[in-house]
Parts: sequence; structure tokens; C-alpha cells
Amino acid sequence: MNDILLAGPEHLGPYLAVGALLFAFGILACVTRRNAVGYLIGIELMLNAGALNAVAYGRFRSLEAAAEGQILGLFVIALAAAEAAIALALVYAVFRNFRDVDLDLVRTLRS
Amino acid sequence: MSPSIVLFWALVAVVVAAAAGAALARNLVYSALSLGVCLAGVAGLYLFLQAEYLAVIQMSVYVGGILILVLFGVMFSRDLLGNQTRPSLPARLLGGITFLVVLVAAARTAWVAAHRGMLQTVAGSLSVVRSAPEEWPGTIASNAPIHLGSLLMDQWLAPFLVIAILLTVVLVAALGLVRKELP
Repeated sequence: MNDILLAGPEHLGPYLAVGALLFAFGILACVTRRNAVGYLIGIELMLNAGALNAVAYGRFRSLEAAAEGQILGLFVIALAAAEAAIALALVYAVFRNFRDVDLDLVRTLRS
Repeated sequence: MSPSIVLFWALVAVVVAAAAGAALARNLVYSALSLGVCLAGVAGLYLFLQAEYLAVIQMSVYVGGILILVLFGVMFSRDLLGNQTRPSLPARLLGGITFLVVLVAAARTAWVAAHRGMLQTVAGSLSVVRSAPEEWPGTIASNAPIHLGSLLMDQWLAPFLVIAILLTVVLVAALGLVRKELP
């Protein structure tokens, strides 16, 4: 672990550590948030962690893999945009039916 | 320590702190705004990785587009300040446990190229990562946007087309979801 702390921008360790922390905070937000938008924020954090790991690993593998890692990051960003659009449409649909976006309230099928 | 290393670690600290704020802030507006800071910080990390094009895309699509969408969605919340809908105790316990499990799993994983010793022991068994050096392979010239474009149109054409179709479908589906008469 000390190796990571002594490293700088030209080492792989810090990027992986940041990616792991972003992913963990995303999971934390998804588990604890009751608001649908807060949940969406957690998903965005996790997607960002994945893209960062892909770009970092591509950069550190070889010269050819660097561009491929960036293309993978590009796809992740496009998918995140699509996911955000659909999620906001769903949030709006839920808001129109329930007058709130609290995920605990949305259980029509159960009761 | 050179200035670039100081800048790098300051950026890392900002990204992690903003992610913590996005996950933990009780006020949803603060949460969305720190998500924006976090996304901009990740764009800065892309700059350190010499992925300039990706950094620009991250700023324009994520910070310019998705963050606006999220801020728009925040307005739907009735309890914006989070005073009434606090996470319940089981949710907090479960959240803390999953947070720790993910972090411990990430810390205990033998990330190849993260440690010098592990590089030699693990690289022999995994041919995929055999070429992963601990430090990056020099300054690269192959990541210019024009190179990315030709790669996208040549080797990655099929996934690119799938993404294009997906974005069209998503646009229509989002419009269908928010139509006045919901089926």
C-alpha cells in the first residue's frame, strides 16, 4: 500500500484506487438513497469508476491498447447518457403517478 | 515533489471528496453539485492519462448534459432537503457494510502492475496482462482524436453502430415514457 502512496500520475495504482473509491461510494449511494435521483447519482458514480479503470488500464498496457481503452470509455459515456435519459423519463412517470420520487412509496404491485 | 505530482494528488483528493459528498450529502442539490465536481475531476484525471479527447467529451456530455438532467430531476423531489426521508438504520448498516466490502475487495485484489512484486508473480499466469508495465510506456502519439476516429470507423464500427441505434431507441423511448397518456 505504501507503494501506491509514493506513486504519482505515471503509476497505475492511484487510478485504480480512485476507481475503487468511486465505485464504493456509488454502491453506498444506491443502497442508502430513498430518492430516485439520488439512486441515479450513485449509478453515475459507478459508471465513471468503470470508465476510469478502462482508460487507465489501456494507458498502462501498451501503446495500441491506449486508444482502445479510450474508445471503451467513450462507449461508457454514451451508455451513461442513454441511461440518464431513460432514468429521468422513468422518474417523471413515477412522479406523475405518485406525486413523489421516494422509492419506498412506489409499491403499487405489492399492496 | 514536482508541481505536477502535487496537482495530481490534489485532483485525486478533490475527486474522492466530491464522490463522498455526492453519496452522503443529505441535501440532494448539494449531492448533484458535488457529482458535477467529481465528474470534472475525473476529466482532469483523463488529462493526466493523456486522453484529451475523452476529457473534453466527459466535460461536455457528463458535466454539460447528464448533470443538467440530474439537476432537473432533483426538482421532482418533494423532500429536497432530506429532512423527512432519511435512510433507515438497516439501510445505513447495509450501506456501510457493502462500502467496506467493496473497498476491502478492491484493496486485496492482486492488481497487476500496481505492485512490483505482484507483477512478476501474477503476470506469468495471465497472458492478457503480461505486457502491463508498472509505469506507463512513454509519451504516446497514437491517441490523437484523428486516430480514435479512424479506429472507431474501422475496428470498432459494429459497436459504434449499435450505440447509434441504441441512442435513437432511447430518444424515442424517453419521449414515449413522458407522453401525456401513459398506457
